[in-house]
Amino acid sequence: MSSESLFLSPVYLPLLSAAGILFIKSFCPTSIKRIAEYLGILIGLVLPLLLVLRLYPIVQNQGYIETTIGGYAQHIGIIYRFDGMSLLLILLAAAITLPAWIFSRNEGPGHSYFTALLLIQNASIAAIGMAADLFNLFVCLELMGVTAYVLIATGKKANAAYASFSYLMLSSSAMVFFLLGTFGLYNLTGSLRYEAIAMGLETLSGRNQYVAHFSLLLIIVPVLLRVAVMPLSLWLVDAHSKAPHAVSALLSGVLLKVPLFALIRIFSLSPFASSLALPISYAGAVTALVGVLLALSQSDAKQLLAYHSISQIGYIVSAWGLALHAGVTTMTGSLLLSASFFHAFSHAQFKALLFLTIGKTTDAAGNRNVYTFRGANQALRNVGERVPLTMLCFLVGALSISALPPFNGFYSKTLVTYTLKGSLHYTFLTLASVGTVASFIKLSRIFLPSKQPMVLPAVKEKNRFPVSSHLAFILLALSCLAVGLFSEQMILFITRLISSEEAQTYGSSFFFTQDNLIKTTLTVLSGIVLFALAVSRPGKYVLHLLEKRRGGFTDLFLGFATALGALALFAW
Amino acid sequence: MKRTWFIFKVIFILLVVTLAMLPVILSSHPWPVASRDYLYENALSDTGAVNTVSSIYLGYRAMDTLGETLVLLVSITGTMGILINLGRESEEEEAVSFSLAPEKRATNAQRTHLLEVVASKLGPVVLLFGFYVMLYGHISPGGGFQGGVIVASAIVFLALGTETQSKLTNTTVLGRIETLSFLVLIIVATSGVFFERGFFGNPIKSGSSLSVNFIILLNIIIGLKVGTSIAVMCIAMMGGRHGH
Repeated sequence: MSSESLFLSPVYLPLLSAAGILFIKSFCPTSIKRIAEYLGILIGLVLPLLLVLRLYPIVQNQGYIETTIGGYAQHIGIIYRFDGMSLLLILLAAAITLPAWIFSRNEGPGHSYFTALLLIQNASIAAIGMAADLFNLFVCLELMGVTAYVLIATGKKANAAYASFSYLMLSSSAMVFFLLGTFGLYNLTGSLRYEAIAMGLETLSGRNQYVAHFSLLLIIVPVLLRVAVMPLSLWLVDAHSKAPHAVSALLSGVLLKVPLFALIRIFSLSPFASSLALPISYAGAVTALVGVLLALSQSDAKQLLAYHSISQIGYIVSAWGLALHAGVTTMTGSLLLSASFFHAFSHAQFKALLFLTIGKTTDAAGNRNVYTFRGANQALRNVGERVPLTMLCFLVGALSISALPPFNGFYSKTLVTYTLKGSLHYTFLTLASVGTVASFIKLSRIFLPSKQPMVLPAVKEKNRFPVSSHLAFILLALSCLAVGLFSEQMILFITRLISSEEAQTYGSSFFFTQDNLIKTTLTVLSGIVLFALAVSRPGKYVLHLLEKRRGGFTDLFLGFATALGALALFAW
Repeated sequence: MKRTWFIFKVIFILLVVTLAMLPVILSSHPWPVASRDYLYENALSDTGAVNTVSSIYLGYRAMDTLGETLVLLVSITGTMGILINLGRESEEEEAVSFSLAPEKRATNAQRTHLLEVVASKLGPVVLLFGFYVMLYGHISPGGGFQGGVIVASAIVFLALGTETQSKLTNTTVLGRIETLSFLVLIIVATSGVFFERGFFGNPIKSGSSLSVNFIILLNIIIGLKVGTSIAVMCIAMMGGRHGH
């Protein structure tokens, strides 16, 4: 097989196995159906990853591989370009989809449609990572969005359909503007290919330049909506907390980040676009802080996690924005981008782990309120867990997100804050990490033993704890630990893929400096203090006020208009 | 107070969105002609399709078409899931009767004699027309998507018009055709990989008179896929899901 066919395999192999699964589902009996699903995941998810990893040396030497779909002339066909970022995105998607799928086997929604949808989603993510064509990017983003809406709506929670619907309405009306922006750029440059657009934009002058700027704006804001930076993040909380647990893990682990890193190519179209990156990075820093404050005020466990996703995406966006501002090809830019991706990758792992463990625990007890729910371990024992693995895995996740060594969160957060040192972002992010610690102390309290004895259910059938759930937890927890322990190699891997020049190494001597350790200790201590303040009477009052502030349907669109307006003012 | 606040918000949203769109809409830049001229000269020889629209959406930009087909597949899967969930939850619905009093219909209250006669006579004709649009997509205006939607409406007519369930309005059969055509579509799209022509490459040698067969094949598969999946969804919405 040629390398062109090889790098497209993450697009067509998942589609092939999804089609196969659906085919077998409608023609064959149940026993074969299950085998088909396992085979489908193997062929559609694991095999392409292995094939793509074989291209690593080529990407490192040449930078990228390119092909035109169908072998037509370059200026008329759709171009797919496989570079380091595509490889990283495919890796990210597969690393989270696999445990989430394993978890879904027993905890639902574990039917063949779900498996097929996951595979289609992975194909669309790979396509987003590789498309070098504006309209094809639109189609792939729509495909990814549609799978997300459908997956959210499979939730059993009463409001799941409503959450999915409001996300659908918001996101698809935003995508109309994306289409309008594509129209504007095509009108100006006569091409949908990134390179041709970039060349065409250089020659523009006068009024046409304004048209180009606003077209770019109309493309960028809808994509940022999927990323959920602050004024655009109102849809996220309902969608993430009402979805089935496996889907929540995927949504905040993968689907938030893919559009963000795909945007890099659009930002490099014109120098104007990269000047937009700076305000976006400030928005990211504010997002990190506000998100964590809102998270601290939540009483619903999954909503708390959803607000944390907003907060963590703020970290990623602020490093990402500064990277684009400095220029992706420069030394600082590539370092910032690597830090941003590294944190995105770690966040995907620990947030997926947290969503799955908390989901399982709250289901076992039938209670999601962090204020009233105690004795989670007992509840888990009731559903048949012998060893408290769920609690241990949850703790791994909580320690990772609070940035404690030796877990991945410590390394990625330290790298992000290191690269941001000296800017205003740094202050915001440091404050946000204090809030993270405080809110995770709050969440961890559900594992404290309960004061009043647990009311045991009357029917006492001996049910066994599903092995698949444990397997998913352990997979994610171990990968959190492994990425932490092998952070040096991981960072090297990422930076080499992002910029092919000789990358710096960040060994343990970089991370375990006195400054970093003091900072971590201080963060934890102030986190404890903040937690103590939060549970005090005035703190509770303030948090309660914050919790009641929830946006309605119109506010979703208000957020979109605000973001568009703010960036438009900046562009003017 | 709440109402004025709401109106204020809506006005603000509309204002900002319009202002941001205006520069793009009002742009007076002349339309680019490079692609148009290229297509005019080369579309027929590249893909073999007389209809240039077909040559674009099943040739040059077939990947986009695949994406749209997948969007349709996924959204119909989601709709079916929600419909099934609703069916489980909702109790016996209050029957709404459209029929006239002399018809004396207790069950199937949403049918009338008039509807049945018209729909059952119209169904086969529309079905034939749908297949015509699908099969002649490479020559005349039309193609898989359009033909598929017409086929779907024909199936809906047949489902409305006939009291007894035929094979054509049985959702199990339709679902099987749907999954089969989806599988064939993906296999056809991937086949180029094994002929050294890349993903979505035309495995038939281009330039020969046979190369248009690739587009005809894609038109038929996409038409079947679209037609059956929309028909399944409509029949489910009418409350006639098989075995439910």
